Amino acid sequence: MAASDVRVLAVLAIAALAPMAAPVTAFAQSAGEVERCFQNPAACHGGGGAAAAPAPSGGGGGQAATRPAAPAPDYATVLQSPDAERRKIQESLRTLDKYGGPVDGNLQSDATIKAIQDWQKGRGANPVGKLTPQEAQQLNAEAARAPIRRVDPSTQAATTTPTPLQPPSSQPKSNADALKDLQARLAERRKAAEPKAEAAAQALIRDLKAYVAADGKGVAGDQFADFAKFHADAKAAGRTVGDITPVIDDYGDAKVGAAVASEVMVETKKDGTSQSQCLVFAWVEGNPRKNTQVFSCDDVAGVEKWKTDQSLKSAWR
Amino acid sequence: MKRIFALFLLATVALSSHAWAQAAATSSQGKAERRDAIFLRFPEMSQRYWENSETNAASHKVVAVPMPRQCAFLYADSYSKGQMSESEVQQIAVSNCNRKLGELGPLGENYSIDCRCQVVISDEHYVVPRNTLPTDSFGPVSIFYRDHTGNVARLNGLAKYGALIGRDRSVTFNVDNPRGEQVCEGTFTNDGPNSGRFSMSCFGGKFSSNGTYQSKTGAPNDHIIARGQTGQGQPVVMTIGLPAQLAAGTYGGI
Repeated sequence: MAASDVRVLAVLAIAALAPMAAPVTAFAQSAGEVERCFQNPAACHGGGGAAAAPAPSGGGGGQAATRPAAPAPDYATVLQSPDAERRKIQESLRTLDKYGGPVDGNLQSDATIKAIQDWQKGRGANPVGKLTPQEAQQLNAEAARAPIRRVDPSTQAATTTPTPLQPPSSQPKSNADALKDLQARLAERRKAAEPKAEAAAQALIRDLKAYVAADGKGVAGDQFADFAKFHADAKAAGRTVGDITPVIDDYGDAKVGAAVASEVMVETKKDGTSQSQCLVFAWVEGNPRKNTQVFSCDDVAGVEKWKTDQSLKSAWR
Repeated sequence: MKRIFALFLLATVALSSHAWAQAAATSSQGKAERRDAIFLRFPEMSQRYWENSETNAASHKVVAVPMPRQCAFLYADSYSKGQMSESEVQQIAVSNCNRKLGELGPLGENYSIDCRCQVVISDEHYVVPRNTLPTDSFGPVSIFYRDHTGNVARLNGLAKYGALIGRDRSVTFNVDNPRGEQVCEGTFTNDGPNSGRFSMSCFGGKFSSNGTYQSKTGAPNDHIIARGQTGQGQPVVMTIGLPAQLAAGTYGGI
């Protein structure tokens, strides 16, 4: 192959690849760019959605300069799109509970126009009853994210694949796929931690119940002074401690062992009326338990600080 | 005699106009129901207002929230003790609401409007027009994003979410910047009563993230904390319900 041919091929290859690479480089997701886009979304939006607001001085940055503003909404493209795409829009409207009519590709039927208007109203856009290509994409993306669907799974699988949430060139996986992966990873991690976390929480509940049964004696009171005080206060007020139930708040490795934070509902009774007190018991596993503390469930900041102090790496969330 | 009659007439007019003004200030805009949006939005308040035997039976029960509607991300409910008048309970509710607002810190980085506490329900009746109250949940939002070079973006604005997190299977939310432009949209999907997953897309899909969220009740204020990552694996943290400075201090260190 001659050198000139190689050059020609190289130029062709670059020309072919350039449009694919462009979206990635156009929005590199640097913190600065994200902040600029947040302050001036019109400069970063590709049109559709919210109307382009006048850009504030100095807010747009380079992104604004590279994006020409759409002169007028383009409704013709969607209306004249292939039948399958028009049907897809109706499917999406149906998935979002906006449309109950036939999926026949007729975007100008009264029912479809009304459904589009409803969807546009819901997102604060002008309810014109027609869609720009961008809006159509957003509608389909929203429907793809919707967890409850009316369409049957086979149709769903067939129709969602060709319309990823983002341009395929800018992101290898759709949001839905990424979300599924993340969910699966989190679920796997949590499932692995579940037996130990449950055992730890149940052991605590056994100790708490034993402390109550022994009328204020036992390791639970030694380890959790605030629970001992709670028990003493309840007793002084003539209240008896009833049911004690845990819900694990967090679990994971900490610097000195496995750390557990568990919400515990403690029921107290008096004269036939019962009250529930929500407490968060936090401790590091061991015998005896270490770094123990009791919080009110309202004290979110306190619980989170405790976790930070323990360097808890959550396997639960 | 005529002079006495004239004086009597004047006094009557003055008294009746004062009474009318007072009534107008607290005039009912309809009866409050426990399934109304404001009680669904703040379930703990609803529990006190309608269920708790100690507070529910109070002679006067008042709810104050910051208004206009997009400011109503916190509340103060107040209940009479002893011989307290309705107006005293109203003053306490507004004062508590203002104190909460003050404790949470300035809202200027999230809102471009002035949020002021006012009584909205008094003795089971609305005292502001129903259509001025929120039917959706609103709250200040902060999004923290760390890019691949370690720089952190802090995005502050206002979030609106469609319904109750924790009760509905899935709710959508929008994020507006302080100028009121919609910037992001997303979905919360419940896995449990106070936690689940979220996905968010901003700037027409150019910036997106997903992960998990948790609803936190109580101090410093009821809020949602969502942690996730972008498609490129960069961390994103979003809080709804805490003003910008407090959010940054609590969750900004991603």
